[in-house]
Amino acid sequence: MKIKAIALNTFKEAIRDRILYLLLFFAAVCIIFSRLLALLTVGDRVKIIKDVGLTSLSLFGALMAILMGTGLVFKEIDKKTIYTIISKPIHRYQFLLGKFFGLVLTLFIMLLLMSFIFLALVFFHTFTIEWEMFVAILFIFFELCLITSVALLFSCFSTPILSSIFSLAFYLIGHTAWGLETLIKKIPPGLGKTLAQTLYHFLPDLENFNFKTEIVQHLDIPSEAFLYSILYGIFYTLFVLIIAVLVFRKRDFI
Amino acid sequence: MTTVLKIENLHKSFKLGFLLKKTNILKGISLSVEQGEVFGYLGPNGAGKTTTIKCILGLIFPEEGKIEIFGHPHLSPKAKERTGFLPENPYFYDHLTASEFLDYYSQLFLIKKEEKEEKIKSLLRLVDLEGSADLQLRKFSRGMLQRIGMAQALLNDPSLVFLDEPLGGLDPLGRKEIRDIIVRLKDEGKTVFLSSHILQDIEMICNRVAIIVNGEIINQGALQDLISEKILFTEVILSGVGEKELEGLGEYFSGHGDRTLLKVIKEENVAKVLQLVQSSKGKVHSLIPRTETLEDLFVEIVKQR
Amino acid sequence: MKIFKSEKDLSAIFLVVLLILSCGIFMSLKIKTDNISREKIPGSSIIYIPSGQYLKYATFGNSSLLADLIYIWAIQYYSDYTIPDMYEYLDHIFSIINELDPSYLDPYDVGAVIAAYEAGDLDLALKILDRGLERNPEQWLFPYLAGHYAQMINKDHKLAQEYYKKAMDIEGVPPIVRRLYADAIFKSMDYKRALQTWLEIYETAKDERVKKIASNHLYNIKATIDIKKINEAIEKFKERYGRYPMELSQLVRAGFLDSLPKDLDGKEYIYNSRTGEVKTPIIPWKR
Repeated sequence: MKIKAIALNTFKEAIRDRILYLLLFFAAVCIIFSRLLALLTVGDRVKIIKDVGLTSLSLFGALMAILMGTGLVFKEIDKKTIYTIISKPIHRYQFLLGKFFGLVLTLFIMLLLMSFIFLALVFFHTFTIEWEMFVAILFIFFELCLITSVALLFSCFSTPILSSIFSLAFYLIGHTAWGLETLIKKIPPGLGKTLAQTLYHFLPDLENFNFKTEIVQHLDIPSEAFLYSILYGIFYTLFVLIIAVLVFRKRDFI
Repeated sequence: MTTVLKIENLHKSFKLGFLLKKTNILKGISLSVEQGEVFGYLGPNGAGKTTTIKCILGLIFPEEGKIEIFGHPHLSPKAKERTGFLPENPYFYDHLTASEFLDYYSQLFLIKKEEKEEKIKSLLRLVDLEGSADLQLRKFSRGMLQRIGMAQALLNDPSLVFLDEPLGGLDPLGRKEIRDIIVRLKDEGKTVFLSSHILQDIEMICNRVAIIVNGEIINQGALQDLISEKILFTEVILSGVGEKELEGLGEYFSGHGDRTLLKVIKEENVAKVLQLVQSSKGKVHSLIPRTETLEDLFVEIVKQR
Repeated sequence: MKIFKSEKDLSAIFLVVLLILSCGIFMSLKIKTDNISREKIPGSSIIYIPSGQYLKYATFGNSSLLADLIYIWAIQYYSDYTIPDMYEYLDHIFSIINELDPSYLDPYDVGAVIAAYEAGDLDLALKILDRGLERNPEQWLFPYLAGHYAQMINKDHKLAQEYYKKAMDIEGVPPIVRRLYADAIFKSMDYKRALQTWLEIYETAKDERVKKIASNHLYNIKATIDIKKINEAIEKFKERYGRYPMELSQLVRAGFLDSLPKDLDGKEYIYNSRTGEVKTPIIPWKR
């Protein structure tokens, strides 16, 4: 399959990028640093390690997705490597999807590496392999896929710096959507409120993928939450990718 | 003879600059290329050569106009499967080796696995890069990149090949090699669409040309039809005859030692010069009639604009 | 040309339809997920920050903004009564806010209210207010509120006294605090000091209204002391004679009282011989 070919090539190129390993290094530092932080708490030390660890995975994973994703398409257009690909019998959407899956594969590997370090540290403290952590990590992965698609979208028409800023904004908005919810409650009913509510439902809610606290605290999670979260991720990612395809297909490569 | 490429009334403009000023690049291009030709597409820098090629290949979307390749719409898979493209100043994925690169591209054509290896090997042989099969592209010289670019353009054994300035930046040996490949492609029955501004090479290998200036096709046709066979002047290098005696017969330039270079414009004067040399017991070292070259034509046309 | 348009249009239309569909789907999914109650409150991971002090370093100088944000979040959090065990981290949350921005006054105030009235935890309320006063020594409001809560919730008048005294020492405190102080002394049954304090207030009163109030309080205190004395005498009388005296003067003649005290206005106290009840002739506040 042509998408597969492009995906694998993208993966091979991405996995060589030194940025990834720099971020991996920092993630490892944070995870290990949590060990020290744990010494400051009274009581359950492992909880701090788990919290810091999962947050590091989420944060650094997002950074990787943004930094790599924003360069993906831009680099090809800038360096003109794209000329000889688009001129071949391949649809432009196949190119985009190939780039997307290539990066998703890269992130998957990176996340796996970070998880390994994280779980090793947890194991060192509890002498058990906490498989539940993988559930939280799985949903972090879904979140990263969505962020990647956004970074890819911006990469189609904007420079890496601007794309990074927009993608970061997406990430921040995604995590503070609940603030908008509380604000909306105070607005008197009317057109303004309806508009605000529509906006609220449209804006991304990345907290949907956030099961970290519940899993660490061993709280109950209704199974619908998982299902809806996955579906939400799939459809929002699909939405963003379609926009990217629509933007990309009309693009002139000057 | 089948028409392999047909362009009708192609228009393209870009919005450039901060104020998005509309600039017309292609102002109604029409041309056709027949099977088995080596077609030269000439023009000064910025005339719209590369833009035309990009329109044909689907990198740019024209506002108006129709393009057909082998009778199919130019963006259809049927058209694309039979074309190959070598862009100007090609740049490919650094981290891949030559064979990895060709392997990747062949996957975009869905070339079968069994055929793939053989094909890559033979292409590398054709462009004389067999020895560098496992060398990373980041280590390739300009000429080598040009050649691997040629190889990827031929991966799918295309019937129509687009070459955008393939001879740019190459040393004379490199240029000869590319020229040889082009001639070979022609011998195999392929059609080559060649865009360049190195006119001597075009003159050597092309059958038909089109000249584009400022987004418009000024002239189009078989090379010999465009360039008249008439002799512009004759260059004679002789010795043994003094300047005084040669006066009035042509432009006089002195050369090495006793050799004289004479630019004779009128044909009858050439005979007179020869007679003079014979009677003076001098020597004619060379006699070269200069016909109109493509360069002359080109400069003439561009000057008119 | 025509071929271009219709070819592109078809797939473009398909994509746009798919786009709108997926948008609709994820938006309705969002609505659905909002309705699923999760045990975890968004943003509640704040609970796991060890201390505001450490957090301060991480904010690169934006600690007051962060204090604002956390405070706003806390208000919403504490307005939602469906959250179980919501007061568990009240101390922690407000201590973080206070540490991030010690001079932000509202959180002390509001934190104490929530602690006192909603969580029913007076100690925590006082702790928050103490912290507020410590960082903002010019805010008489904090000890004032503290005294209030001490009286309202625990009826701890002695503690209230201390707080009112602290408040009184601060410049700009309204005079009523002094009166609350005096009243707290009275309520803690230290009548001697109460009299003293009210007398001071009476003498230093700047307007008639305050004088009147002070005088009413003095009346009340005297009446309390007097009535107490009289009641003790009545009890002794009852023990001895097995019945209530007919009139109060009998107590004097029988030797249980040295003299019959009169109220501050010089009037006699009213006595009900059947029930043994002694009252003031007039309600102190209606003088």
